[in-house]
Amino acid sequence: MIETDMSLEAALNAVLLADADALDSKDMQRWLDNYADEENASYFCRSAENSEHGLALGFMYDDCRARLEDRVTFVNDIWVGTFQDYRTRHFVQMTSYHRADTATLEMRSNFSVFMTPKDSGITQVLAAGQYLDSVRQQKNGGLKLLSRRAELDTSVLPRYLVYPI
Amino acid sequence: MTEMKLSWPKNYNEVPKEAFVREDIYAEEVKRIFHGTEWHPVAHESELPNAGDFKTYRLSGVPLLIGRDVEGVVRVFYNACSHRGNQLETAVMGNKTEFECPYHRWLFDSKGDLVGCPNPREFLPGFNKADYPLAQPRFDIFFGLVFVTLSSETEPLLAYLGDSQNTLRELLAGDGRLKLLGYQKVRYDTNWKSYTDNDGYHAPLLHQAFKMLNWQGGNGRQFTATKRGHICFESALSVATGPSVLKDKSLIEFKGQDPAVGSRIVSLFPTFVSTKHLDVINLRFATPIDAETVEVHYAYFAHQDDDEDMVRHRLRQSSNLLGPCGLISMEDASIFHRIHIGNHTPGSAIFQKGVHDPLKLESEFLQNDESGNLPRWEYYRSVMGFERATA
Ligand code: FES
Ligand SMILES: [Fe+2]
Repeated sequence: MIETDMSLEAALNAVLLADADALDSKDMQRWLDNYADEENASYFCRSAENSEHGLALGFMYDDCRARLEDRVTFVNDIWVGTFQDYRTRHFVQMTSYHRADTATLEMRSNFSVFMTPKDSGITQVLAAGQYLDSVRQQKNGGLKLLSRRAELDTSVLPRYLVYPI
Repeated sequence: MTEMKLSWPKNYNEVPKEAFVREDIYAEEVKRIFHGTEWHPVAHESELPNAGDFKTYRLSGVPLLIGRDVEGVVRVFYNACSHRGNQLETAVMGNKTEFECPYHRWLFDSKGDLVGCPNPREFLPGFNKADYPLAQPRFDIFFGLVFVTLSSETEPLLAYLGDSQNTLRELLAGDGRLKLLGYQKVRYDTNWKSYTDNDGYHAPLLHQAFKMLNWQGGNGRQFTATKRGHICFESALSVATGPSVLKDKSLIEFKGQDPAVGSRIVSLFPTFVSTKHLDVINLRFATPIDAETVEVHYAYFAHQDDDEDMVRHRLRQSSNLLGPCGLISMEDASIFHRIHIGNHTPGSAIFQKGVHDPLKLESEFLQNDESGNLPRWEYYRSVMGFERATA
């Protein structure tokens, strides 16, 4: 049993790192591919301040697979060449997980994201917070994100966002 | 009165870039504008729907506490204890019927009256609690929008708003009966004037989304109101046509009642920008942090009569369309930063589109004209006491 838990934890960590790596590589297709191919696959990014006050509005509110796909279009096609680009580094650490049902796991992680605008070259913290994830176990055993809520401790962003957190 | 020197060009369509970057000018702006005879929107009543709800806000550094008392009346206080001035409330928002200052435990009720303080016998002889309510700035309310002025000489709010009243009322859904959906808050690395100069004003060529979605602007007018040059846009709503690159078209769908009032923007001097576009109702409370930083709280609203579906639609549209990460606005945010960098160069920013005669100010403009900003600049120049060159 311990062995199974260890491998499950390793698999969850792999999901976490795959997302961080896709984002830091600005590979939006890979970011999308880390989500389950289900209609209600979703990504939300909002301040913990909003959530704590029962306010559902977010910085990004992609509550269905179609919106995740549109997010890729925003970054890859629509916004190209209109903003000051920046590098990011995501640091993620799982803090807990549990099984919700046979096919779904719930996972919590901390994150901090550094950003370095290309023009200034000065590194600063973009955001810190928690990921609240639902992770889907696929038929082949592989894990994908079903939904992710990036809850930002950072209620006032130091700049606009191009890429998901 | 001032030692500040800045030579202002003769042409109305030129703004010296120095005005955006000089620290001495900024310090003077705080005095003359932010602490001067202007009204500043700081909240909408619907952010505080219930008795005891409050919000705190800093208006160019001045801490404010905006609260709804137990009887439902909205009031604005300085967020500082009337004893030694300790910041009274630290939460950004919440619900309380009493505010206790932890320093010496003075207790205030929701009307701002001092209702308790330990050991008053040790205080100054004749100490009377009634003499120590929370201090208040002047405030007034327009269709729920709460304005503060830090000067006793500012004209009444309705006169201040002048001909922008009607557009602003329409933007506030006609009756001001809004329901808060939430906030997007952000700091931009830009001078507050670069922010207001480039928010609200719309540059269609900047946004590739319009081309890609085959989305033309609807017909409309742009005009300025009062000597301050508040800017109002009134446009019929246009809807994207043709094949869409979006898989979820609800992002740019209009479900509201009347496309004739589908699009409204009101930009009030000095920093307030508000917009109603498609089904998004958005009030942007903006305040300078320093000469190079402005903080903007984008507050989004539904209407109190909306059914559940409409609230959900507004929520989904508001989050992804117009804010610091929005489909048709993220690029604007980047422009705020880049304009500020560019302003550290000699010379003037030159307005072109819609300018017919550089020596004349107009008050009616076409929808995408840059010239709509010029009456506001003329007002700014006069408040700051900069002299316009004659030749
Ligand atoms: S400063 Fe508030 S009680 Fe003394
Ligand atoms: Fe724009």
